Amino acid sequence: MITLSTLRRSMSALFVLFLGTFSVFAVAAHAASGEMTGARTGPASNIGQPTPTNSVKDANGNVVQYGSDAITYKSPSAITGKTSAELQNIGRALYLQNCSTCHGVKANGVMAKDNPEAYPSLINVGPAVIDFWISSGRMPAANPNEIQAARKTSRISPLQSLAIAEWVNSLSPAYPYVPVVNTKDANAANGFNLFALNCAACHTITGGGDALANGTYAPTLQNSAITTTQIATAIRSGPGNMPNYSSSLTDAQVADIAKYVKTDIQNPNNIGGAGMGGLGPVAEGFVALALGIGILALAAFWVGDRQ
Amino acid sequence: MSTNEEHRTPVSLSNISENDPRMQPAAKNPDRVERWIALMFLAGFVGFAGFGWAYWVDAAPWILGSTVGFAFSLIGIGVVAWGKYLMPKGPFVEERHDMRSTDEERDALAAAIIQRGGGVIKRRPMLGALLGGGLGVFGIVALFPVLRSLGPLPGKTLTGTDWKKGSYLVLQDGRRVHVNDFKIAEAVTVFPEGFEETPNGQAVDQTIIIRLDTQDFTTKKGRETWGPAGYVAYSKLCSHLGCPVGLYEQQLQMLVCPCHQSMFDVTVGAQPNFGPAPRPLPQLPLFIDKEGYLRSQSDYLEPVGPGYWERS
Amino acid sequence: MSDVMTKRTAKAALGPYGRVGHVLNELDDRVGSAKARNLLDKIFPDHWSFMLGEIALYSFVIIMVTGTFLTLYYVPSQTVVTYRGSYAPLDGIKVSQAFASSVDLTFGVRGGLLMRQMHHWACDIFLGAMVVHMARVFFTGAFRKPRELNYTIGTTLLTLGIVNGFLGYSLPDDLVSGTGLRIAFSILESIPVVGTYLAFFIFGGNFPGTAVIPRFFILHVLLIPGIITAMVGAHLFLLVRQKHTQFPGPGRTEKNVVGTPMFPVFMGKTTGYLFIVTGVTALLGAFTQINPIWLFGPYDAAKISYAVQPDWYMGFLDGALRIAPSWQTNNFGHTIPWTVTFPALILPGIIFGIAYAWPSLERKFTGDYEMHNLLDRPSEVPVRTAAGAALLSFVVWLFIASSTDVIANFMHLSLNDVLWFMRVTTFIVPVVTYIVTLKICQEMRGADGSGRRKTPSLVTRTAEGEYLSTAAPYHEEMEHHEESAVPVPTFLVQHEVPLSNGVRTVERADVPNRRKAATPLSPAFESGDVLTEAPNHQEMGDYEDGSVLVPTFLVEEDLPDGGAVRTIER
Repeated sequence: MITLSTLRRSMSALFVLFLGTFSVFAVAAHAASGEMTGARTGPASNIGQPTPTNSVKDANGNVVQYGSDAITYKSPSAITGKTSAELQNIGRALYLQNCSTCHGVKANGVMAKDNPEAYPSLINVGPAVIDFWISSGRMPAANPNEIQAARKTSRISPLQSLAIAEWVNSLSPAYPYVPVVNTKDANAANGFNLFALNCAACHTITGGGDALANGTYAPTLQNSAITTTQIATAIRSGPGNMPNYSSSLTDAQVADIAKYVKTDIQNPNNIGGAGMGGLGPVAEGFVALALGIGILALAAFWVGDRQ
Repeated sequence: MSTNEEHRTPVSLSNISENDPRMQPAAKNPDRVERWIALMFLAGFVGFAGFGWAYWVDAAPWILGSTVGFAFSLIGIGVVAWGKYLMPKGPFVEERHDMRSTDEERDALAAAIIQRGGGVIKRRPMLGALLGGGLGVFGIVALFPVLRSLGPLPGKTLTGTDWKKGSYLVLQDGRRVHVNDFKIAEAVTVFPEGFEETPNGQAVDQTIIIRLDTQDFTTKKGRETWGPAGYVAYSKLCSHLGCPVGLYEQQLQMLVCPCHQSMFDVTVGAQPNFGPAPRPLPQLPLFIDKEGYLRSQSDYLEPVGPGYWERS
Repeated sequence: MSDVMTKRTAKAALGPYGRVGHVLNELDDRVGSAKARNLLDKIFPDHWSFMLGEIALYSFVIIMVTGTFLTLYYVPSQTVVTYRGSYAPLDGIKVSQAFASSVDLTFGVRGGLLMRQMHHWACDIFLGAMVVHMARVFFTGAFRKPRELNYTIGTTLLTLGIVNGFLGYSLPDDLVSGTGLRIAFSILESIPVVGTYLAFFIFGGNFPGTAVIPRFFILHVLLIPGIITAMVGAHLFLLVRQKHTQFPGPGRTEKNVVGTPMFPVFMGKTTGYLFIVTGVTALLGAFTQINPIWLFGPYDAAKISYAVQPDWYMGFLDGALRIAPSWQTNNFGHTIPWTVTFPALILPGIIFGIAYAWPSLERKFTGDYEMHNLLDRPSEVPVRTAAGAALLSFVVWLFIASSTDVIANFMHLSLNDVLWFMRVTTFIVPVVTYIVTLKICQEMRGADGSGRRKTPSLVTRTAEGEYLSTAAPYHEEMEHHEESAVPVPTFLVQHEVPLSNGVRTVERADVPNRRKAATPLSPAFESGDVLTEAPNHQEMGDYEDGSVLVPTFLVEEDLPDGGAVRTIER
């Protein structure tokens, strides 16, 4: 028999059931979007890696690109428009010519006697890393015994660099692919915030770079030849002594940082006059004493007597 | 004064006549100098007008500064030239009178202060002592509000942080750290969950977590469980002066403090091996819970940050 | 009959000095101001190095003027707000109100950036001028009696200037200066016994707290500038009352001042100099960027930048902190971090202690308790000059040590090597500076036994034509004397037949206040003859002090055939 009380009770139960289901779905959807602070639903993070939902495959089932709105990780063939086989041909020849003496014919490194890091293995590093080192001119290394390879103008063109990356990657396919950063929707202000927390400790807040321990140094970021792709690759892979941020920064955060570096590190707003390299109070002190006091002392020399 | 100039004896201003050669302008050609000075004043006038115009049209700061700067400089040079070349050239002399007063005046002062004034106290020593005592006590207790009211006594925030048993490690945007998240040589700033936006959280709780290869580090005695799966967490506050030690060099496996370049070896418990830091960075004991999230076993076992008197 | 005063008679009734004179008389009726005329006639010596203090004074004026402008816009609060201004890279970021108002001053207030930059440049120049002025005072001995009090006031002004500068650049609460605040907190903490209490009291709690910016603001704009203004007033009052010192020279004695009168000459030149200082500061503010806080971003206790140094006048502290060894003691449950306490507290105490104590130390060691109104040339007081140079070089070397990372980066050296180099050379540099400066001064003085420049030689020529040179025998004139007004050397003597060349000397009556005048080369005449002044000769020119240009006391037996220099027995 349906009385008023049973009706009330069943309505409440239905209501609770409805609410519960809704909440579960809401939470699941929210968590899956990755925006919820606090708990995470799955164990591993998939930042910077292809997932079934975010990747595009070619006819053979190989991933050609993946990513999010902020960063698209593309294979070298997707960037250049050439087929993988074409690129590998070019790349293999270039590699044997330029790289194999140190990194080995099979790209698995040649151990230097006194420095096991010297000619590292290129197996399993992914095409982005190879492209980074070559396009920034650090490789082929001018002086292999240097503590840290310096950036220089590369004599290898961007296409050739991607070709080498494609070939080396073909030996041991790995991720991440080459990041193409979408700076249009990136937020430079948020990038500034993240840069100050994560990057300024080595690269300085104005991005000028400085000497670190034992002869190493953080290179300057103020060079406009540095591309957002190189910035994103460096952040994800941590070249040399730089630590990596493979998943502690999301794609959107990396894009924000890259945009900030590209706009306000490489083109700082020096509305106050000569920027003096952003060196800070040391340079300012020299100017105040040498120029300021210097000119005024010379003026005093004119105003007063010399006796 | 050049060697070939006419000798001039300094003269006192009090009895000088208008026709004295020392009252003449110093310049050999005062009219020419006057023309130059007039030119400078004119340029200064133009400069100030330029500043007014630049302000009106909201010109760039360097235009504002250069107009007013050049104007002042030129007018200044003109005024100096006026004083140096067109005014009486001198030299003038003035006598220095003895600074000291006469002995009678000195005695009178001493008498006034010591005998008359001091005598007042000598006659009534008890009043003097009581007044002095009272004012002295005021001097001491006046310091109480000046010093003590300024702030709280150093307390728990000096010795402890917000890390507790079971605190989740979160990044600054609030995401928890999972054991599978980091690759080797990843280094990032973490906070106890819930405190990542608080001032105390950032100032005191800040911790840097690094994932090392398990073969790479030497476990200190008693800390065998503190670094699961290669994750080591150290206080980010430098033990020298409290700067955040955010600089990690992965090949050297060293944390370097950006302020005064103390270098800490993360493979042996952040031992300082260079620079002024006197103590290793305190290590946060970690464990991995059932879901794989990294959490702290407890608070730091020693106070974080620089040294102070009460730190034992 | 007309009772109306015509304009002319009205004007005549005002007296020969017109309307202005009338106003001055009215003022004198009330305050007796006519007696201030003595002030207008005061004589100021004109040497250029006396103007270095004026750089400091005028920079202070510029600081006050520009600073007042800044106080109209700056908000001294650490309350967190969201920046919504015209500088895009900060838009939407949570910052403190102090930082937001400073960035608004830069981008939102017309002329605001110029004022900010002029204020900061003027401050750097202010401190630089104080250091240079203090060095001038020290090296010329102007701190001696009766000016010890003025010297003490001046040293205190330097200390207050350094403190106020630190407080000032910490006000915008940016990443670079905030790091300095963190270091200041830790330095306070490191003081034994009372450190943590002091730190918590001053900061109103643990770092960073919310009280420190407002408190520093009031200290920076009211309390310390008030004390500085009062002390500058006392400094200038003492200067006017005691009259400025002067270098020794013709017509200058301990008992007079030679120079230009305050009004109008000195006023003209010094006002012009004020404009020049303002102009140079404005040009620096226009063309060179200083403290670009918008590029640094807001302070956050978890954030840090590399290559952070304090402003230059605090650089010596930063350098000392970097090179100090990592020593701490831990006894009976109490830690003293000597690696912090020594460089940050004890060392500046020693440096400023020496500066403060120097006048009394010098009095004690030289036994000189006299009044001095004439200055020393630095080379004449080798020990003082060398000691001052050594201390200065020590502080400068510490300042250089604060930029070890910049040096390592610039010269492609290892940071560790640069630091060790600094650690070692910090002790060597002052010692070497002391020795080198001492030797240079002694040689310039011609002191007995050092250098050979001013030791006279006796040159003789033998019959065969050989020239022999020996040191001249000792004469009292070789000694250095304290400067006094000796207008004309009075020891010129001659009683010999003229030579074709060589120095002819003549005995002449004392003629005060005449520059040294050589005699005409004419045949012998009797001593006591009145002489005319010789025509201008190169050697009649300026001397720096009363020392003798030409040694005239060479004594020798007559040589038969005449030598290059004939000497005369006197």
